[in-house]
Amino acid sequence: MTKESSNEPASSDLIVEPAPHITGPMTKDRLMLYTFVALLIITAVSAILWAPVTTPSGWNLGLTVVINAIIAVGVAVGIDALLHKVVADSQLNIMSAAVFGLIVTLSYSLGVPIMATAEILPLEAPDAFLYVALISLIGLVLFKKIQGLAGRKYVNPAATAKLVVFLPFLSTMLLVKEHFALFTEGGLGVPLLAGPIGNTVINNNGVASFATYLQGCYNNPASTTLADLNWLMIVEKYHGWVGGASSLAVIIVGLGLFIIARKYIKWRITLSYLVTVTVMALLMTAIYGGDAEVRILFELFIGSSIFLAFFMATDPATTPLTGIGQLIFGVGLGVLTVLIQTYMNFFGGSLLALIIMNLTVPLLDRVGIHKPFGR
Amino acid sequence: MALLKIKEHKDQARKAPIEVFPDPKIAIVLTYQHAGAPNTPLVSVGDSVGIGQKIADSKEKVNASVHSPISGKVVKLGDTYNSCYQECSEAIYIENDGKKLKDKTLTPIPVSELEKTPNAVLIKRIREAGIIGLGGAGFPTHIKLSLPPDFPIKHLVVNAMEGEPYDTADERLIIEKTSNLLNGVRVMRKILGSPEVVIATKSNKTEALAKLTEVFSEEPNTKIVAGNFTYQQGDAAQLQKVLFGYEANPDRRSYERGTIVHNVATINAVAKAVFEGEPLISRVTTLTGDIKEPKNLLVKIGTPISDILNHFEIDQSDIQKVVIGGVMMGTSVPTTEAPVTKRTSSIIVFSKSKYKPLKRRTTCIRCSRCISACPVRLHPVLIFNAIDKGNMEKARRLYVKDCIACGICSYVCPSGIPLAGTICAERH
Repeated sequence: MTKESSNEPASSDLIVEPAPHITGPMTKDRLMLYTFVALLIITAVSAILWAPVTTPSGWNLGLTVVINAIIAVGVAVGIDALLHKVVADSQLNIMSAAVFGLIVTLSYSLGVPIMATAEILPLEAPDAFLYVALISLIGLVLFKKIQGLAGRKYVNPAATAKLVVFLPFLSTMLLVKEHFALFTEGGLGVPLLAGPIGNTVINNNGVASFATYLQGCYNNPASTTLADLNWLMIVEKYHGWVGGASSLAVIIVGLGLFIIARKYIKWRITLSYLVTVTVMALLMTAIYGGDAEVRILFELFIGSSIFLAFFMATDPATTPLTGIGQLIFGVGLGVLTVLIQTYMNFFGGSLLALIIMNLTVPLLDRVGIHKPFGR
Repeated sequence: MALLKIKEHKDQARKAPIEVFPDPKIAIVLTYQHAGAPNTPLVSVGDSVGIGQKIADSKEKVNASVHSPISGKVVKLGDTYNSCYQECSEAIYIENDGKKLKDKTLTPIPVSELEKTPNAVLIKRIREAGIIGLGGAGFPTHIKLSLPPDFPIKHLVVNAMEGEPYDTADERLIIEKTSNLLNGVRVMRKILGSPEVVIATKSNKTEALAKLTEVFSEEPNTKIVAGNFTYQQGDAAQLQKVLFGYEANPDRRSYERGTIVHNVATINAVAKAVFEGEPLISRVTTLTGDIKEPKNLLVKIGTPISDILNHFEIDQSDIQKVVIGGVMMGTSVPTTEAPVTKRTSSIIVFSKSKYKPLKRRTTCIRCSRCISACPVRLHPVLIFNAIDKGNMEKARRLYVKDCIACGICSYVCPSGIPLAGTICAERH
């Protein structure tokens, strides 16, 4: 370049970009990889715990989990890759799609044979395979990709997709008590924990009745002590959300992920949610009586509660930005979850609670805007 | 707020003694290198100038004059790339005559006569020497030292943090010019009315810390604070919080809290101007990055960067990016013809073979990490979104102007969003 041409920056091939010129180690893909590994561990734990169980339809429950995971992840990743090929501006997010697939798998309910057989809910293989594929498909296309066009996601894709796919069964899931008839007849009404209905049963040997119900799933040896119930709810259970097969595994893996990806995960939501659920369980006990510990065990460690607390409620895209916003989000989620489970008789009501709270995020983002340094 | 640590990459460079870089054949001296009013040239094509002769100045108060780094003839007035402002601006091209004739306008003041010299003379000297904040901000030093009488200064903070990764120019300056630093501190202390001197540095600058402790041990009312500080804490306001616990309001001047912070390179320049009569015509800069041997160079201001690269036989065809003034806050230049300025604290070379593009840009996942990482507690993602939508009013309400351009938000962003670049561009 001659001196005369230096009136303008040289058209050399030097890269000009804004500062900073170095970057930290955390990327979205890495964050998704960490989450994927965490979810994979939980999937494995659930599959192993459920491997000894054969459902009335003749399918091994552990195998069902594995097949579900392969289907959900396969559908999500496959469609993500396909959209990337077909639609010009669709970003390829393999890791993100894989995480979504596992969340679909782990938030799917399996293994409530009474409900499944009596109420034609697709909670068993082979029906489950079709429904998991459907949730994965609808979730990815409608609630990840199309919703993403709005600039950001407003509702949790996995939760919303599950609710949409289960819409035809809504009347079965909600407000109808017959699917617990078997137990109510024997004086073991399950909704006893779910509010006013089983009030008297709770007061009469509530621990035993609830434990018997849970143990009754897939003919586990029926014991009726509080210690058995503790073990069931915290260490290994055989019903409900796949991700909640072992609450302990969820807590350990969840905390591990929080530590490894610290500062990138909204742990405040998990904390305030779990505290709120506990408080709400105590409140419900105060109103309706019954055993406080049983109620806390149920509300806190039911799969839809503990798995959602660590892996769905903390989904960054659909949760508040500010610390205080996140705390309020968790509190609201906890209150709604217990209210929905109690008064709508909707087990797994945390899903609906999550979607409702997701929609409040634009408002919550205005809360907790702090003053800058020195002001 | 927790402050994150950034890898420093200084191990090699901090051991490299300062080398005097040869004078350029043609010096390209930008007339506008400071924060404040622009200068106009005092020379025309064909004029002969001596080393240290003032060649551009302005009548405005907030201003710093510019001097010829070499002796020779003005061959051209024209625009060249100005890394201080990331655009082309006026420069004076001086051809070296090799005679090394010195301009004698500024006469050295003997160290023994410092106490007898009126403050006004010292401040005028600093102004005439064109000294600006060499830590990067480029604010004229004489303005920072001319204080209204109703604000007594309690602390003179010597900023020896050098937080930018890679940069070691200040560190070498402390090690090799410690007595000069002591003299500079004495000048400033006299002007400011004998405040306590607090020298702040990082404990991992072991050699520099040892020198400081040795040289300043006899100095009254002086303390050295060395800690495991982060990059962000090198900012003057952050440093005051570390040292004194208070958060200075960004709308107010630092002296209102009784504290003045000066960078070590600035203080060294003050000592040279007062006791050697040398205006600011050279500075120490770190040449580092993807090169075999990082260097600390005492280089004349106006030396084209290409001269430095050629001198050390750095293959320019293998250079992908050249960053001036630190990897966190510095700017990448479009051409290596750009000259060294008063604010060129480092030259960092990224080679084509080792250069990796920064993170892949994806949509914001709302992890809120930028919010928790911002050392001045802004909400970078919200400000970015406001700017993106053209809502400047909202950006203003979110205190966009309080941004200190540290770059931390972009550094932590997992989605590769250019938060810092966008926000910095709108902060004024």
